[in-house]
Amino acid sequence: MICRKGLDICILGFLILSIGCIGCVPMAEIALSPGAPDDLPGCYAIFPAGHWESVHRIEAIIRGGVSSSLLGVTKGEPSERRLHSLLLTPEGFILFDAELQEDRIAIRKAVAPFDSPAFARGLMEDVTLLFLPPQVRPTTWRKETGGTRICRWEGPGGSRTEVRGSMDHGWRIQHRDDQGEVTREVSLKGPFVQGLASHMELRAFKPASYRLRMTLLQVAP
Amino acid sequence: MKRLFFLSVLIIMGFLSAAVGSSQDWASLKEASRNIQSVKAEFLQKRYLQILTKPLLSEGRFFFYASGFLRWEYLSPLRSVMLQKGDTIRPYHFSEGVWKPEMTQAVESRRMVLAEISQWFQGRFDESKAFTHLYSPGPPARVILTPKEGINRFIQRIEIVLSARPGVIDRVEIEEPGGSRTSIEFRNVEINSSLPSEIFEKP
Repeated sequence: MICRKGLDICILGFLILSIGCIGCVPMAEIALSPGAPDDLPGCYAIFPAGHWESVHRIEAIIRGGVSSSLLGVTKGEPSERRLHSLLLTPEGFILFDAELQEDRIAIRKAVAPFDSPAFARGLMEDVTLLFLPPQVRPTTWRKETGGTRICRWEGPGGSRTEVRGSMDHGWRIQHRDDQGEVTREVSLKGPFVQGLASHMELRAFKPASYRLRMTLLQVAP
Repeated sequence: MKRLFFLSVLIIMGFLSAAVGSSQDWASLKEASRNIQSVKAEFLQKRYLQILTKPLLSEGRFFFYASGFLRWEYLSPLRSVMLQKGDTIRPYHFSEGVWKPEMTQAVESRRMVLAEISQWFQGRFDESKAFTHLYSPGPPARVILTPKEGINRFIQRIEIVLSARPGVIDRVEIEEPGGSRTSIEFRNVEINSSLPSEIFEKP
């Protein structure tokens, strides 16, 4: 009887751990080969085209469950690979203001604890992953019968970015470093408003671990 | 030369009469504010940023009690609240159905702004450590706050537009270097209504 009860607790514990970890494990990579040229434009479906500006509600969750609510304002000019991002407190204080063009970051304002170069680089990498497609053409892509697309880009130094999903079921963006380890994973859910997903969640695994839940509040061309 | 002298005298006389007139109005403003024990109001905040074509709109409410208590609450688009009791500020945000303590950020800026707001609602514009003030009798009557050294890196000018109702603020305009600005319009202002103490204690 005691043994049976112990087994039940073990199974329950295993179930709780399993449920708790749904979504914690990054997606596995699947083998791909270059797809049909007609399917290639679909690889860019989740990235806004043309000039745009947006306001997001951001909930940032860092290690230990400490969280913070912020407003994120971003302006994008994809043709010039230019992004301008601001982080504001709910009252409207600007905590961080930086512009990225190509690979150059110009920090206009940064208030502690958002004033380190590492933070600026990390934030602009996140914003780039969310809103700009990689600069090179995908190396491999596929459109499955159910409408799901999988597109993979190989970056300099062996890093990889993969976009997988569909407008009906949502999308995932995954970035792996040169060791093949997932550094960031983004889930995007519609409806898409002027090319921007209404809900996004970014999970960063390396070098720091944190989660950003973003809700689109305002968008303009 | 005579004409220039006459013009100078006129200008000086004009300044003097304005100064006398405003000192009387200033005194009545101070007197009206002295009787304010509590304020309750709703507000609409418009945040104009250079990178946005449309302003960012936020709505909220605030509660003020003269002995150093302030609750500044946003209802949309982000639900958050700052509770001030003396020098202590506790910020919270509402997430997943519960209030969560806010990770500390820009605490000094927030403390300074809340301290200023508390002083404005008591008509204590001349007690600010961060700003010098200039009273313009209007109508509408206005108080222009100019930041002192240090603060002027973040705020260029604050204009407080006063209501015809004594002691009530209609609107606050905050200008920043670089062209961004914030406008806060107050409405449904209640003066000296009874406020339960938990408003300032619990988010």
